Amino acid sequence: MKPMLSNEIITADVINAATPKTKIEVKNLNFYYGESKALKDITLSLPERSVTAFIGPSGCGKSTLLRVFNRIYELYPKQRADGEVLLDGENILERSQDLNLLRTKIGMVFQKPTPFPMSIYENIAFGIRLYEKLTKAEMDERVEQALKRAALWTEVKDKLDASGTSLSGGQQQRLCIARTVAVKPEVILLDEPCSALDPLSTARIEELIDELQADYTIVIVTHNMQQAARVSAQTAFMYLGELIEFDKTEKIFTAPSEKRTQDYITGRFG
Amino acid sequence: MAEHTVTSFDDDLAHISRLVSAMADLAGTMVGDATRALIESDTGLAQRVVSDDVVMDARQRELDNRTITLIAKRQPMADDLRAVVGAIRMAGDLERIGDLAKNIAKRVGAVGQGSMSRDLSHSIDAMAQLVLIQIKGVVEEYGAGDTEALARLRNDDERIDVKYTSVFRELLTYMMEDPRNITACTHLLFCAKNLERIGDHVTNIAENAYYVLTGEQLPAARPKTDETAVPAPAA
Repeated sequence: MKPMLSNEIITADVINAATPKTKIEVKNLNFYYGESKALKDITLSLPERSVTAFIGPSGCGKSTLLRVFNRIYELYPKQRADGEVLLDGENILERSQDLNLLRTKIGMVFQKPTPFPMSIYENIAFGIRLYEKLTKAEMDERVEQALKRAALWTEVKDKLDASGTSLSGGQQQRLCIARTVAVKPEVILLDEPCSALDPLSTARIEELIDELQADYTIVIVTHNMQQAARVSAQTAFMYLGELIEFDKTEKIFTAPSEKRTQDYITGRFG
Repeated sequence: MAEHTVTSFDDDLAHISRLVSAMADLAGTMVGDATRALIESDTGLAQRVVSDDVVMDARQRELDNRTITLIAKRQPMADDLRAVVGAIRMAGDLERIGDLAKNIAKRVGAVGQGSMSRDLSHSIDAMAQLVLIQIKGVVEEYGAGDTEALARLRNDDERIDVKYTSVFRELLTYMMEDPRNITACTHLLFCAKNLERIGDHVTNIAENAYYVLTGEQLPAARPKTDETAVPAPAA
């Protein structure tokens, strides 16, 4: 916490807080699974180097919205998006967008840990090799950095040749985060990253999110409302494909403006 | 407000709400009884106020236990969270009101019979009535969810402050008139101060109730007209 020594400092803080740089700007986004519309006219701005949480009941579109950000939906036929998603002002939904480049900028971690069936070292090195040609020493350095960044290094440094799948669930998830961080993305998407983890592993991931937000823009989808309240600076509540409310996290969880938000977070839904 | 999917959550919240209401009712009774005991020199009634305070404390402890358990079990959010935190704080103010009423009751014996002029007892009674109206009002307006009335009620505390200033000066006059009045009047001064403090606790309750209902804090500034710290004009 920065000490507030004078009015000038307070003023500067207020100005900085009031105008954070926008990393991702979503404008009038619609998304379709075939004929069915899963996102309806979504518009919101995600500030840079900050954690944004998406909450809402199953099927509300929060994971769909996350999947639009790195166009992972394109792996599936009949899924399409219209509207705009601007990453640093550039529309990533343009057909001309290089998807491989996009996915190096926007990394993703899934609900279920998905280590590759290869060594811990190779799990990290694999992605880096796709984009960069490094010497052995450079690669060792990058792997170590990534594992340290994901708070996994001390646990695995003596067994880098062991299989990634031999790790515990929480360690596997941190390995996936290390793998994501290794290719130096700008944005990290986390799709319910802790729902398969025990409370201690969950706490480690949350601690990690807290550290990573200094360098990355983080978007997390979670069913755990307390987790959203703990880790995020702003929270979006979605319902039936619509963005119902998007505000500072403390506002959403203490005095939301919308009744539907209130009903959902207090457990009065449906 | 719709019910929670987990209905026992509603039961827990309702129980906490009932405890706050019960404490507020008891606080009103204690203040009314303490003042009547003082004015009528009724030591029996005063004793009852003292024993009521034991009940008040027990209720606050029960409320503390229940709210802490509820937070641990349910992790309340939004309006539920505000209601639970509000209940803890209101219970704190109500418990203090009970203490202050007990303190008035304990002075009944020391003030003694016949030491209060009719004018003076009338002034203290009028002050107590203002306080009782505030206590009753805050419970009713919170129950009715009337936020505007709560904001007004908080400002109405000024009337108690004005009355306190006038009782304070009246008591000074009696003491100056005849030093034999000093002991009784000093006790009465504390009683009046206690009533004024009770008014402040009611103000806190109104502010909390406003926050619970709206999620917003009332502005910090509130009219304050306790002028007893200002030198009185020569009597």
